[in-house]
Amino acid sequence: MVIDSAVNRTRLRRIADGSDARWLMVWIAGLLVLWIWDAIFLNAPAFDAVQTSFLNSLATGIMVVVMALFFGWVIGVGLHLLERSEARVLYDIASFAVDILRSVPQIIVVLIGYVLLTLLLHEGTIRSTAGQLVWIAFAIAVAVSLEVSDTVRERINHFRTLDFVDAMLSCGISETRIVNVEILWKNSRSHLLYKLIAIFGMSVFLQCSIDFIVSVGLSTDVSLMNFPVTLGSLLANVDSKQDILAISNLFTDPGYISVILVRHLQGISVAFCIVFTLLCVYMIANGFVRRHRLV
Amino acid sequence: MSDLRYDIHIASDERELVAIQDFRLAESSITVLFGESGIGKSLSALAIAGLLDRDQLDIRLNGREYRDYLRSVELADLRKNGFFVFQEPSSHLNPLMTLRSQLREGALTKVSDEEGIVRRLWRHSPSSHVNEILSVYPKPYRPSGGEKQRILAAMAFKKMSTTPASAKGALFIFDEPTGNLDNQLRDEFLDLLVENFRSRHCTVLLITHDYSMISRFTTSYADLAHKIYYKELGLERGRLQLREFLPSAYLGWVKAQKAHALAERGESTLMKLQPNVRIFGRALKVTRHPAGRKPEPLSMAKGSLVYLKAPSGVGKTTLVKIMMGLLQAEELSMVLEGVEYTQRTLRQVWSTHVWGRQMAMVFQHADEALNQNARVKDVFAGLPLKTPMNEAAITRTLSQLFDDELDREFLRKPVKYLSGGQKQRLNLLRSMVLDTDILILDEPLNGLDFQSSVKVLANVEDKLRRGKSVLVISHNEEIFDALTMPEDVYYLHEIT
Repeated sequence: MVIDSAVNRTRLRRIADGSDARWLMVWIAGLLVLWIWDAIFLNAPAFDAVQTSFLNSLATGIMVVVMALFFGWVIGVGLHLLERSEARVLYDIASFAVDILRSVPQIIVVLIGYVLLTLLLHEGTIRSTAGQLVWIAFAIAVAVSLEVSDTVRERINHFRTLDFVDAMLSCGISETRIVNVEILWKNSRSHLLYKLIAIFGMSVFLQCSIDFIVSVGLSTDVSLMNFPVTLGSLLANVDSKQDILAISNLFTDPGYISVILVRHLQGISVAFCIVFTLLCVYMIANGFVRRHRLV
Repeated sequence: MSDLRYDIHIASDERELVAIQDFRLAESSITVLFGESGIGKSLSALAIAGLLDRDQLDIRLNGREYRDYLRSVELADLRKNGFFVFQEPSSHLNPLMTLRSQLREGALTKVSDEEGIVRRLWRHSPSSHVNEILSVYPKPYRPSGGEKQRILAAMAFKKMSTTPASAKGALFIFDEPTGNLDNQLRDEFLDLLVENFRSRHCTVLLITHDYSMISRFTTSYADLAHKIYYKELGLERGRLQLREFLPSAYLGWVKAQKAHALAERGESTLMKLQPNVRIFGRALKVTRHPAGRKPEPLSMAKGSLVYLKAPSGVGKTTLVKIMMGLLQAEELSMVLEGVEYTQRTLRQVWSTHVWGRQMAMVFQHADEALNQNARVKDVFAGLPLKTPMNEAAITRTLSQLFDDELDREFLRKPVKYLSGGQKQRLNLLRSMVLDTDILILDEPLNGLDFQSSVKVLANVEDKLRRGKSVLVISHNEEIFDALTMPEDVYYLHEIT
């Protein structure tokens, strides 16, 4: 018991000492400072828009992580089980389909998702903001889930070379259990969590990129105005673009900084939110890799 | 005669690794140290030899800080006149030097009888093969484990022959020096050790799991009985204790086993494997003769203990993996309980009918065979039993091979925190708990102490009595020769 509590204390200390935990705190603290600053200096409608866009992007990112984990796990394990079974034809078909998806750039897959969303909006199949966010998350998850499935397959292949898989098989333990519980759950959680942190960052980046692309409008009836507000769409907004352009005044008038941080807050806040989040996610992922010695 | 006496305390950041009071080695004697894997034998020996990293571990030796011990005169003497043969030879060999250059490095340059020592350790190999081995680099050519062990043994014997008789600090530590050698080579090693010991009277610590060394020492070197001490490192009420091990305990037990071999057994055949098997382009054959004259099917009757023998590297483990359907052979014909299995049998058939139902196998390295990140109780999850095991059932099963520590905390302990011996017992129990007609045991006594070995074999005997069949691969020939009927001993050969 004494040893166990000592081990737990050491574990907690390691987490607290890890740069991933530090960067997570930096991210939360940075966003909190930004929120307070905006609450004081940003006008109410813009403040609401920034808040909503952040929460929508955050919710989408979390949904992408959950869906990508599910899709990636199913694809990775499914391909493995098909490969090990006698159904070679099925395996070849499935792996061909996966390779086709892999050959399409992620941004194109997401764009196709937005086009389909536009059609669904036209037809009135999807109306609610939540429904639209779920669809966007689904499109991004489809695009990035192969990142997870590749990790799943790498882990399975790594463990297949070790004796413990054969040892368990020879005792009659099912391959499904060995793969899902023994390999992926008990031995690959850190690897998958690292991948999911990266996927959260990818999700933020892809959303912003796509929102910029579709800011020109997808049809005469459907434009960014019909989509839920996200960090990317708010950044693509004319007001935000003007706020960003205002930064160029600093080259001729450095004293303008005081004005920017008060008068051009919407665009600056959104841009800061995106860049700061991506930077923190990158640092958290790196810290996580170091703490868990994943490379 | 004075003793070398050590109080050893080693701890990591997370837990205490070794705490032994009064670790005694009689000077100018051979101490044979037994004990389960992972109990702290090697760590203690490394601490004595000054080979542990004081920055990574908290170490105290005889009440002193380790850094003081590292600067001590006694350690300087030990380094000058002694030698350490590592358990894992790879960690001791320089990858950038040929084996021959390493054999002649430093203090070993002076020795003239290198040829004689090497010839004896490679007694059964042609000299061209020995020359070939000596001229390779440990990487990338990778000599086998047995070859590396013999190189290290040769170094130790060269050093021994240059050490002045009864020199101060002449402590020679051999950590599992014969783990990768077959019995003939092991005996050759022991002969060389005793010859050098007779002429130099140095202090020898021989760490091993091979209790059959006792028979060799008592039968071939009876005159040295007063110079050879047998000790066993074990846990007593949660504390490490170094206790005397009586040779008669082992010798008497082996003698008693001979009677069991006469036990009756059933007539019906559970499994018959045709003698010719091919895999990876290699052809293997099973015979009843050590010289491999006539191929004969390997047959397992109800209640029989079958012993499969072959020198290291021939493919014993490969053959049993083929028999289990874990490796796909190019040629295989086996009848298991009336059903024929060949190289074309689908994996689905093996998994549905054979694995864990008709046959089960215990792999030889428990470290690799168990999921290190699983908890003790998880090892029994997913087994094809009539009713899943709850904690009470797991505790009952564990109590067959575990004496103490069977509380809830132990069941929740991660496998990676168990000692090597505990892992091996867990590895064995996972397969033994199944109700399969055939059980394959690959080196079942690896890393076990004497008491645990006795319990494992009692368990095997119980299976045999219940009409189950057991196939064993083991380098513990003395034990399994005693337990097996002569007609149940098979030899595996590679056809060249």
